[in-house]
Amino acid sequence: MKKKLSLLFIMLFAALMLVACGGGSDDAEGGSAEGTTEESAEGGETITLAVWGSSPAETEGLEKTVQSFEEKTGHNVEIEVITDNFVDQITARFAANNAPDVFYLEAYVAPRFIESGVLLDITDDVPDQDDFFQPLLNAFKDDEGRLYAVPKDYSTLATYVNVDLLEEAGYTIDDVPADWEGLVEFSKELQEKLPEGVHAMIFDRTMARHLSAFYATGLNPETEDGKADFTSSEDTFAYLQSLVDGQDEGYIVNPQMDLGMDSAGAAFGSGKAVIMIEGNWVLSALHNEYPDVNYEILESPTVNGQKQTMIFTVGYAINKNTEKADAAIEFVNYMTGEGQQQWSELSGTLPTRQSVTDAMDIASNEDWTAHIEGANYGTPWTSGIYLPVISQAFDNNFQAALNGDMTVEEAMQAAEEEANAEIERQQ
Amino acid sequence: MREDPKVQRQNENPPRKKKRNRAFNSSFQTTLSGYSFMAPALLVILLFTLAPIAYAFVMMFQKIDMLTMESTFVGLDNFRKVFTDPKFWAAFENTVTYVIVVVPTQTIIAMVLAALLNNKMKFNRTFLSIMFLPTLTSSSAMTLIFMWLFNNNGFVVNLLEDLTGERIQFLTNPDLALSVIMAMNIFSTVPHFMVVFLSGLQDIPESLYEAAAIDGANKVKQFLHITVPQLMPVTFYVVTMGLVGCFQIFDQAYIISNGSGGPQNSTLTFTLYIYQLAFNSNDMGRATALAFTLGLIIFTVTFIVNKVMKADEING
Repeated sequence: MKKKLSLLFIMLFAALMLVACGGGSDDAEGGSAEGTTEESAEGGETITLAVWGSSPAETEGLEKTVQSFEEKTGHNVEIEVITDNFVDQITARFAANNAPDVFYLEAYVAPRFIESGVLLDITDDVPDQDDFFQPLLNAFKDDEGRLYAVPKDYSTLATYVNVDLLEEAGYTIDDVPADWEGLVEFSKELQEKLPEGVHAMIFDRTMARHLSAFYATGLNPETEDGKADFTSSEDTFAYLQSLVDGQDEGYIVNPQMDLGMDSAGAAFGSGKAVIMIEGNWVLSALHNEYPDVNYEILESPTVNGQKQTMIFTVGYAINKNTEKADAAIEFVNYMTGEGQQQWSELSGTLPTRQSVTDAMDIASNEDWTAHIEGANYGTPWTSGIYLPVISQAFDNNFQAALNGDMTVEEAMQAAEEEANAEIERQQ
Repeated sequence: MREDPKVQRQNENPPRKKKRNRAFNSSFQTTLSGYSFMAPALLVILLFTLAPIAYAFVMMFQKIDMLTMESTFVGLDNFRKVFTDPKFWAAFENTVTYVIVVVPTQTIIAMVLAALLNNKMKFNRTFLSIMFLPTLTSSSAMTLIFMWLFNNNGFVVNLLEDLTGERIQFLTNPDLALSVIMAMNIFSTVPHFMVVFLSGLQDIPESLYEAAAIDGANKVKQFLHITVPQLMPVTFYVVTMGLVGCFQIFDQAYIISNGSGGPQNSTLTFTLYIYQLAFNSNDMGRATALAFTLGLIIFTVTFIVNKVMKADEING
């Protein structure tokens, strides 16, 4: 009896091992096996596309555009939605040698991926490159001008003004200055005429919103030789000081920390601020959740006499080790070329090609005018491979200046030292 | 297996050779069946715990690019970098402060609450259920609620301003940001440990209290001289679990600072820094070196606590 029982368990154990091993090999080979059957059935290939989860409109836009691509070419696209910490997950997938064929790539982290050499060089495969807004395309090029991803859409910062609140305070839209220095003065003056709980301006204080102003005031935070620099420009100190002063006196506030709102759009929409410098991602909230707000959109203020704004863009990048490079290139070109209008219309994002922008005639839509203008002169939120380190050091230390624990100069000195020490450790 | 009656009976008659063979076979089979019982758990532990640990041992002496997985051997350089890094010491200070404040506080509060609930008070089941709610809430949800309470326009800040006239900013003030996380952690772990203590209290014989009462000890003295020492093994468990949990604090710090560990590194904890090294800095070697250091620290502290509390000697 006992013998039988132990025999039974040995068999169970063996079965378990088999299942476990079987599962493993299934994962490794299943993909390619599936690929070949698809190929013979439809004459196309199956490529995987990794994206992050986003709004229902964007999800629908992506699915429909991908469908059009599939119908046109006979290829098959498997969309894989990564819900959280996209870059971390993609990095881990590369480490596990299991990266998708095509994936979304944020300009911010693009240099790191380019430098690592894991992306396919597509310089010669993308047609009609002059048609793209050049700052967007440049965000995905390396030092030698080779292209590694194609921008799919973008957002830029612009100045949103709540016209009703402004008029209640006794001003009109024409009184809002177009330069930063004037805008700060205006906000200060405006603040005194606003009711309790309403602030003159909302402006996030992370480096992502201010890199273009740094350039305009003569500071390049990531120098040519890959070092951090926050201290070489007096004008930048003055610019940062204006943010600190604005916070101290309550006329430039941060929606999350100072107002306890979920987002700038919500704070602006519920009438807690008159002016907001934000990206066009707030538009859907303004349309859907706060339809009664009467607002106008101006271009981002000039800094130091120069036009400036931040551009946030995302591109399609192709894994260098993909076995289906041709299909992947075909897909990326479709999504950023022929299919772009469909994608942009459904998702409500801005097209990266000038020709599509013209064809959709969105520049005449007053919601978009200022944002689209920004794509011509704006600064993409990207720099070199150390930008994540440098911006983290900035955000961490600028808070000390905002708290009044350090002067702006001291905080920037500390940020520079922190970033440079970390860069050195990474080498 | 020598006690097995079946084996003993077989031992009496058959020839020697066969007997040894049989004994061997049988003990081999029992070992095998024992291991096959454990196989599912062993397999999981081997694959998901031991193998990564072994791999980490290799990685912490290398410089690794996560994207390409290219690695070069750098010896102890990762450790040199970790120990000369001011952010490491900031994380060290934050985490140690955190542990020193949170572990004793949560242990004491949980013990006192358990003792109170153990008395025959009315509705103690109801109280228990309500008090257990924070433990059931996910820590991310809890963090968001606390951020809502403590942001610069939040409930607590406005309440304090109404009461004292002073506006205290919690989340952007580096001296206070960590204390918000501390309060939150104490709030959410106390109920769990309270239930653990409660079960320990049921095991203390009533006669001890009776004897103490006869000797004239009041309730407080009974608590200090009977309850506390009798609960020592449970306390040891609670303290150890608290230590490990606190040293590994991650999600609250991540959410409250949006992953940056700010303001001014004041919410940068060990595990958050490990995460930053691995995924922001793309430096797996240094991340594993730091993880190993953290493991060593937890091991040492637990060892010391074990020695000091003499957990294995109490009550036999």
